[in-house]
Amino acid sequence: MTKPIDYAALKVELDDILQRLQAEDTDIDASLKLYERGIAITKQLETYLRQAENTVSRIKATTEK
Amino acid sequence: MRDVGTDIIWSVSDFVASLNQTLDYAYPSVTIQGELANFRISKNRWVYFDLKDETSSVKCFGTVYQLTGPLEDGMLLKVRGVPRLHQQFGFSLNIMSLQPAGEGSIKKAAALLEAKLKAEGLFAPERKRLLPQIPQRIGLIASGESAAYHDFIKIVNARWGGLNIELADVQVQGEAAVPQIEAALNYFNSQAESVDVIVVTRGGGGAEDLAAFSTEQVTRAVAGSRIPTLVAIGHEVDISLAELAADQRASTPSNAAELLVPDKKQELARLKSYPSDMLRALTGSVSVVRQQLERHIQDLEQSIIRKLQHEQQHIENITGLLAALSPTAALARGYAILRSDVGGPLTSATQLKKDQAITLELRDGSAEATIKRVIL
Repeated sequence: MTKPIDYAALKVELDDILQRLQAEDTDIDASLKLYERGIAITKQLETYLRQAENTVSRIKATTEK
Repeated sequence: MRDVGTDIIWSVSDFVASLNQTLDYAYPSVTIQGELANFRISKNRWVYFDLKDETSSVKCFGTVYQLTGPLEDGMLLKVRGVPRLHQQFGFSLNIMSLQPAGEGSIKKAAALLEAKLKAEGLFAPERKRLLPQIPQRIGLIASGESAAYHDFIKIVNARWGGLNIELADVQVQGEAAVPQIEAALNYFNSQAESVDVIVVTRGGGGAEDLAAFSTEQVTRAVAGSRIPTLVAIGHEVDISLAELAADQRASTPSNAAELLVPDKKQELARLKSYPSDMLRALTGSVSVVRQQLERHIQDLEQSIIRKLQHEQQHIENITGLLAALSPTAALARGYAILRSDVGGPLTSATQLKKDQAITLELRDGSAEATIKRVIL
């Protein structure tokens, strides 16, 4: 079973990276690091979407059926 | 009991007790459908009404907690109860549960309840909350064997992964539906680590099949949920009150799944564009830096050229000076170099003696000479 990830949070980080790369004033070394992190996140999200499966469990607390 | 001939003579209390025993044996519970008449509520707790048809009428007695909503005389009602001869107050059917019956009465009851709850503000748009974009934990209230449940799960599985779905398997119609649905909503709302959203769903059906979702108990439970709710009751025309009270509603279980979770195919397509967008932004920055570097280089080149030119000028000046100061230049102006017979230049008259042999070096040749006289 795929490890759970916070998809929404990673997506936010990815958008933030893209924005910062597109900004005029970013340092080249910092940009390279951001780019690498962005690629890593993209791969992680793609793998998650392709592999993660849902689980269904039944709760026991309802009254007798 | 006193025996008088063959007749048994009962005391009143004994008779009442015996009759109730017989009733209990013959009718442990009975369900009667009839028209509601003389409906009244006493002390905000006790409910009294008559259940009648064209020729007969039966008194009923219950509590307000058994009501599924406001009732009006004339409505068709289905009452399950226990017949009893009360010691003091005569015969009554003690209510175990009741619900409106027949499409007309069910719709009437829903209309009455809708007006009541709307006035309380339960359906106000300002109360609606947004559902989380990706609900990691979903509380699902549905009938586990139903097509609605399977449709919902199928679509959720096709669209997204990694989610935890907790199913509260409940009756979605019939007498047990209301308490079970209410209990399920309370369960999800009381967990220490709560689900991100609660989905209540069932497929289509007649008015009586869907009645539970327009009762006061279920509608209030949905409205009072502190966890956002999505209610999808498959229906033809009328919207159930639980849907009005929910934060979001959907027309079918499948539609609910589509509203609830994003589509991973769309998401994958979106993700595809990120690497190239990022690379473009990165090379964009690189070319900006390259332009800056080139400008620096140009400036440097300019300043080096200027410096070289300056130096060149300087050298030319010195070369000119050197040329002017060289012996060759002097010779060209008519001076001669006197050399002794050992070769070195003679720079002073004191170095000269009479009859000394010297060499005269001129611009274009030399001569041998002898000193005639030295004048100091």
